[in-house]
Amino acid sequence: MTGLLMQMLEGTVTSLQIFFLTLIFSLPLGFVVAKGRMTGIRIIRWITDLYIQIMRGTPLILQLIFVYFAPYYLFGASYDRFTACIIAFVINYSAYFAEIYRSGLQSIDKGQYEAAKVLGFTRSYTFFHIILPQVIKKILPALGNEVITLVKDTALAQTIGVSELFRVAQTASSRVFSTVPIFIAGVFYFVMNYIVSRLFTAGEKKLGYYR
Amino acid sequence: MKEMIRLENLSKSFSGIEVIKNISFTLTEGEVLSIIGPSGSGKSTMLRIITQLERADNGTLTVDGLTMFRSVDGKAVYSKPDELRAIGLKMGLVFQSFNLFPHLSVLRNITEAQRAVLKRDKAEAEEKAMSLLKKMGIEDKAGQYPFQLSGGQQQRVSIARALALDPEVLLFDEPTSALDPELTREILKVIRELAEEKMTMAVVTHEMHFARAISDYAIFMDNGVIAEEGAPDELFGNPKEERTRKFIASFEE
Repeated sequence: MTGLLMQMLEGTVTSLQIFFLTLIFSLPLGFVVAKGRMTGIRIIRWITDLYIQIMRGTPLILQLIFVYFAPYYLFGASYDRFTACIIAFVINYSAYFAEIYRSGLQSIDKGQYEAAKVLGFTRSYTFFHIILPQVIKKILPALGNEVITLVKDTALAQTIGVSELFRVAQTASSRVFSTVPIFIAGVFYFVMNYIVSRLFTAGEKKLGYYR
Repeated sequence: MKEMIRLENLSKSFSGIEVIKNISFTLTEGEVLSIIGPSGSGKSTMLRIITQLERADNGTLTVDGLTMFRSVDGKAVYSKPDELRAIGLKMGLVFQSFNLFPHLSVLRNITEAQRAVLKRDKAEAEEKAMSLLKKMGIEDKAGQYPFQLSGGQQQRVSIARALALDPEVLLFDEPTSALDPELTREILKVIRELAEEKMTMAVVTHEMHFARAISDYAIFMDNGVIAEEGAPDELFGNPKEERTRKFIASFEE
């Protein structure tokens, strides 16, 4: 039993690595994508729109397979499956985050930009001190949803052979002829998401001081 | 007397429709100019061009002797960005919808630009903010957030926010249009006090009695042109143009 739990903890570490690496790259990248989606340059807008449509319009599981196997079929080159997994998650989640950012940015009244301009704030000061704090407050609930989904989506990494929590549980399950490990994994996911959702609730509360 | 704003032959179109046609006026230091006219007559657009929220198509504008843009071959040519910034800081703008920063306290709404733009230190900025809040009669609101204030209080904060940067000219874009009559009176009182202190101001407003009472000069805009202009007693009391008469009469009912 301890052996099983140790294995599952190892799987959890891999799941958490996928989770954090995805967030670290896709949270800022999503912003770049959102900017591309909102730019006045038509060709860039068109390309980012197509990219977002593909990412949202096809299963993540398929994207994982594509990212891992496409280089092999195209160039005969194979690479690390964990790297492939991170790339697939990052490009997928950047698209979703981009749409969340865009909705947040577009919800800010243009009077905020105008007041900032007339007061002499630079563009970057306006963005970081006036616009961004308001955007964060607006998008936090949607962001929370997405991050919770990410915790559960890490289970898809097994498709390309990454030994994350769910795969470990499944393997153990077939070894001991019991579904118990899978349910234990369920508890693990639940605990992780409970923490995530508590953090977001705390964040929303912290920003609840104004309307 | 010094000319604070000199606007010559301004014109501006939005997607082919000319909203401002060849408008000129000057605003002298210490005077109050009121701009009246029906909605869509170009009043707000003119203020927005002066405060660089919109770009002029043609014309020449100087503020306190500095050129913001000038007409070259039928086109407005703007000065360099750092000059434009310096000119922008000579003017404050009070919006119809206040546009306070909701995530900042009343005090920080007023200190933020002082610190970030004028590089004043915290104590100096806060002292300035508190004295302006006191002047506006709302020093007890310093720690509150905009959503906790009435519309009239919010507008007073936004006037304080503009004044905190010590502008040479204060521009008002329908400052009371979002307020009910009682709160409107609060704001008009503040503007009247500023006029008594010889603050140079241009006010776009629908408050005819107020405009007549406080301004040194009045402009009636209609359809993108100055249809009539002159001393307020003349313009409001004895308008020469039929459309001015009609417009002013429409407020008497």
